Amino acid sequence: MKRLQILIGKIIVKMLRLMKRNAGNLPGIILWHISGHKAVSMFKVDCPIIAITGTNGKTSVTNCIAQLFEKSGKKIIINREGNNLDTGICSLLLRHCDMKGKVDADYLILETDESHVPVVYSQLKLDTLIVLDFFRDQLDRNGEMETLIQKINGFCKKFNGNLILNGDDPNTARLGRANPNNKNVKYFHAERYAFATDKIFEASEGRFCPFCGEPLEYEYYQYSHIGKFHCPKCKFGEYEPYITASNIDLEKPVFTADGHEYSPKLNSIYNVYNMTAVAAAAKLYNIDQKIVDGVISGYTVKNGRMENFMLKDRKTTLNLAKNPVGANMTLRVMNEMQGEKELLFVLNDNVADGLDVSWIWDINFSIFERVTRVVTSGTRAYDIAVRIKCSGYDQSKIVVQPDLDKAVEELASTEGRKFVIANYTAVQPTRSALKRYIAKHGGKTE
Amino acid sequence: MKKIKVLHMYADMLDLYGDSGNMEILGYRCKLRGIECQIDKYSVDSEMPDFSGYDLIYIGGGADLEQQHISEDLLKCRDGIIEAYKNGVFMFLICGGYQLMGKYYRDADGNEIPGLGLFSYYTVAPSSRKKRCIGNIVIKAEIDGQKVNVVGFENHGGQTQDVKTPFGEVLYGNGNCSKSSAEGYTEKNVIATYLHGPCLAKNPEVTDHMIKYCLSRNTGEEVKLQPLDDKLEKECRKVMLGRLLNK
Repeated sequence: MKRLQILIGKIIVKMLRLMKRNAGNLPGIILWHISGHKAVSMFKVDCPIIAITGTNGKTSVTNCIAQLFEKSGKKIIINREGNNLDTGICSLLLRHCDMKGKVDADYLILETDESHVPVVYSQLKLDTLIVLDFFRDQLDRNGEMETLIQKINGFCKKFNGNLILNGDDPNTARLGRANPNNKNVKYFHAERYAFATDKIFEASEGRFCPFCGEPLEYEYYQYSHIGKFHCPKCKFGEYEPYITASNIDLEKPVFTADGHEYSPKLNSIYNVYNMTAVAAAAKLYNIDQKIVDGVISGYTVKNGRMENFMLKDRKTTLNLAKNPVGANMTLRVMNEMQGEKELLFVLNDNVADGLDVSWIWDINFSIFERVTRVVTSGTRAYDIAVRIKCSGYDQSKIVVQPDLDKAVEELASTEGRKFVIANYTAVQPTRSALKRYIAKHGGKTE
Repeated sequence: MKKIKVLHMYADMLDLYGDSGNMEILGYRCKLRGIECQIDKYSVDSEMPDFSGYDLIYIGGGADLEQQHISEDLLKCRDGIIEAYKNGVFMFLICGGYQLMGKYYRDADGNEIPGLGLFSYYTVAPSSRKKRCIGNIVIKAEIDGQKVNVVGFENHGGQTQDVKTPFGEVLYGNGNCSKSSAEGYTEKNVIATYLHGPCLAKNPEVTDHMIKYCLSRNTGEEVKLQPLDDKLEKECRKVMLGRLLNK
């Protein structure tokens, strides 16, 4: 039966290829149906599987960990295009298995959607689960935060493999208590950085201890609810970190982890967290230090994640923000930078964005410094304009231009530094619009 | 200087889908008119406030877990809130706040969270968590004698029944129950609704109605508010109405 399913799957992949179509998800969806909703159960995987999950940072961390193994000369399989549901992973494995369903690799490195962790890894044996963070993200798709955490917690109760958790996020650190018999729970942690605050700065989750209901106490908040916390009553949050990022200086940028200094290319605190997670995986799998240096210091992102463009001579940074945390981070980077700047915010409300755009009200726009003008665009251009206006920003400095090409023209019509924030479905059209501008008026893509 | 006093209850726990934005908008529209808007916060285990000393009490929405957390505390406030309501303090209630002022809220697992019983409606969540009323919503409500299309976003499992005086008629979306014709609950000094978004973002008339109510309650005289430039809000609503109603 399983062989038949594999055969059918492989035929579909072949047909899609012949039709020059991307076999990203469809074969998996068909197998999901014919296998009784167990889309990955027909595969035989003997090598270790490393899964990366969380709201923000999955793609970056997955790609970096893949590089660690690739540069060590290992054969890996990775879902680079971010097909991270059970059906996407099924399609990926179909392309890499033999007719018996046997997958040939040294390691599988799989970015996995938060809500699909229990589904996928009840069917495939997991060696290591890395959980980065949990933030409000597309709540209307996932249901409420707590339901999501409960799902993964249920999985962790029975899991005895390596569990690498962000020890500075109470939402992920709590998973460390799910299975008291698991001796392989490891926390990563980052020491206070220059822009950390004593009080919470942005709307967030996880204000109360999930075990005893006591308000959590924080030594500092790095961003949102991420920081050094503990519960004064039941001691939740008091653990020995497996790896700690310290001496974080984002101006240079540099940080130290486990005695090694790294000079990452990206200067955000959440990149430090992501790279600390990567360093934790490297430590666990004994990766050669030279390779770790190369990966962490060399990592940079395209695809609209802090991607730089020159619109004529105007330096422009585009960042994806699919939730308030991402947007708040970009605003911080923007504020921490000297001089005047202008912002283009592109907001869509397509199905993949979650139809609800109210998350923009959890972005703290009142911190705007030296922002001389705002252009808004996307299917909900007016919503983001109203939101920025109600934060107290002068509405005469807001230009609404739902047409993306016109919005980019508008942004580039003045001198100076530019920032662009775009949400999930807006980011690729925005990149294209920036590139069209450059093709027409000059400039360059980095 | 004119002043209104607002009590924002459980801001740290009941804050879904931009609900705290309502307070930002209220403060913003007061500030532009030189009206002082004092917003105090009350949460679990805070000192018991003098509820009747406020002009407006605001409660947002939360997930089931948070609603369970606060329900016990809310019952401690029962007498104070009922007295304030009887004294004409304006009650602005979103989603969970709306539900908890009724008789009870029964969640998807069958747990019954007692409400304050201020109003006679009650809410039952379907046993399947997947059956939620989610999406954009437009209702026609009467505000200050004018019919206004109020636009927001609803996301609730709870089905609220036995509502005597709804806030508006549903033009698009679900309302109090799945595919129902009525949305929310209203009285002279009450607006209770499922609209998030936040509710006031695209509907400046609703904000101004509450500001006016609070001011005239203080002075006893009819108040005329200085008009504001709402072109962005109006355009925003126009785009959504065009998209949702002209299908």
